[in-house]
Amino acid sequence: MSPARNDPKHLTGADKISPAGATLPRLTIALKVADILRSLGYPREATPPAQVVRSTKQILAEARPWLQPRGTYALYAVTRQTAHSLKIGGATIAGNIGDILHGADRIAVFMVTVGSEITRQAEARSRAGDAFAGLALDAIGSWAAEAAAESLMEQLNSQLRPGESFTMRYSPGYCGMDLRQQRTLFKLAPAGSVGISLLPSLLMQPLKSISGIVGLGPREVVGVHLSPCERCPQIGCHMRR
Amino acid sequence: MAAFSQLREAVLTGNAPAAVAAARQALDAGVDPVELVNQAISPAMEEVGRLYEAGEYFVPELLLAARATKEVFLLIRPLLAQKDVQPAARVVLGTVQGDLHDIGKNLVGAMLEGGGFEVIDLGVNVPPEKFVLAVEEKQVQIVGLSALLTTTMPAMKKTLDVFRTAGIRGRVKVMIGGAPITQTYADSIGADAYGANAAAAVDIARKLAGR
Repeated sequence: MSPARNDPKHLTGADKISPAGATLPRLTIALKVADILRSLGYPREATPPAQVVRSTKQILAEARPWLQPRGTYALYAVTRQTAHSLKIGGATIAGNIGDILHGADRIAVFMVTVGSEITRQAEARSRAGDAFAGLALDAIGSWAAEAAAESLMEQLNSQLRPGESFTMRYSPGYCGMDLRQQRTLFKLAPAGSVGISLLPSLLMQPLKSISGIVGLGPREVVGVHLSPCERCPQIGCHMRR
Repeated sequence: MAAFSQLREAVLTGNAPAAVAAARQALDAGVDPVELVNQAISPAMEEVGRLYEAGEYFVPELLLAARATKEVFLLIRPLLAQKDVQPAARVVLGTVQGDLHDIGKNLVGAMLEGGGFEVIDLGVNVPPEKFVLAVEEKQVQIVGLSALLTTTMPAMKKTLDVFRTAGIRGRVKVMIGGAPITQTYADSIGADAYGANAAAAVDIARKLAGR
């Protein structure tokens, strides 16, 4: 399916640059049982019991039709960057992100989601008293959203020029980037085109959604791939990159 | 007895169909349902809690064991009622007002049900008055409050304040838990107990219920 071009009219403001970008109504994601087990808390080196593996496989099979991975991005030239701010499209993104995005001359603001159904099903199973199924479905939704973000990064490859690479992606709420930056990101990317909205609490709806930014620039400068996780004190986190 | 060890093993491995089959077989053979609870289910769930505390079990194993136990209780609860055997205690659970997170609360609920407690789950974003109503109408012995956010923790104190104002604080034990909660915080708001995880919650509830 060829991506629909974004309508730049979703952006307002006199000094914004019309962004390149795309809306991808169907992203391909690969979900493995091993990933879900990791998301359920098992360390990489652990061997979960057969009953847990069986039950997780069964729930993953049930869950696949409830996932609708989709995403969108808008690509902006960097007009100004300091260690603590980034100016793109007439908007300023604040945060200690200078080292992460160092060397990027363009920034993609992206949003992905897997839809609401997986959360509805997780809640229904929990309400029905099956806490394991509720937890597993919630973990599947989280992992699927991460997989959707990775899939969108692959689509972004088409925007790389020869000799260019990506920085690691960065999201509001990571160490160094305040959650309130969500509001700016939602001004810069057409979240509504894939059915994502921002609640006053700064939670996204659907819940299993990811917003963020990623830099594009010359490989020899951005190829260092400094991980945002290096700033995070939760060294045991199963999502650590 | 073979049926007891089969049921214990089925609960320990979280195999609900095997647990129900073992329980049914035992009941058909004339085993007293109270003995089934005391000799097989309770020891199995205690072992599950111990394995979790020791880091040998993870949350999914806790929940599968709880699910197996719950399904066995569906089978034997009517028989226990006929013998006028009461649940360990009646517990009301909820995530406090302003907080929409339910996974931790659900884990605690599943473990308590697996431990033989009757659980009334009020859901998320529960105002203090709704807890008061549940305590008054359902003859609850224990209230469990959950919060995931530092911004919603103060609603625990508010809930306890409303309990005092409503005159029910002396009638119920209150246990609290959630990611940002500590024993120090529990002490500071006058809660009766703090549970660091779902497995600990069962032991705490047993102590609070005097069992």
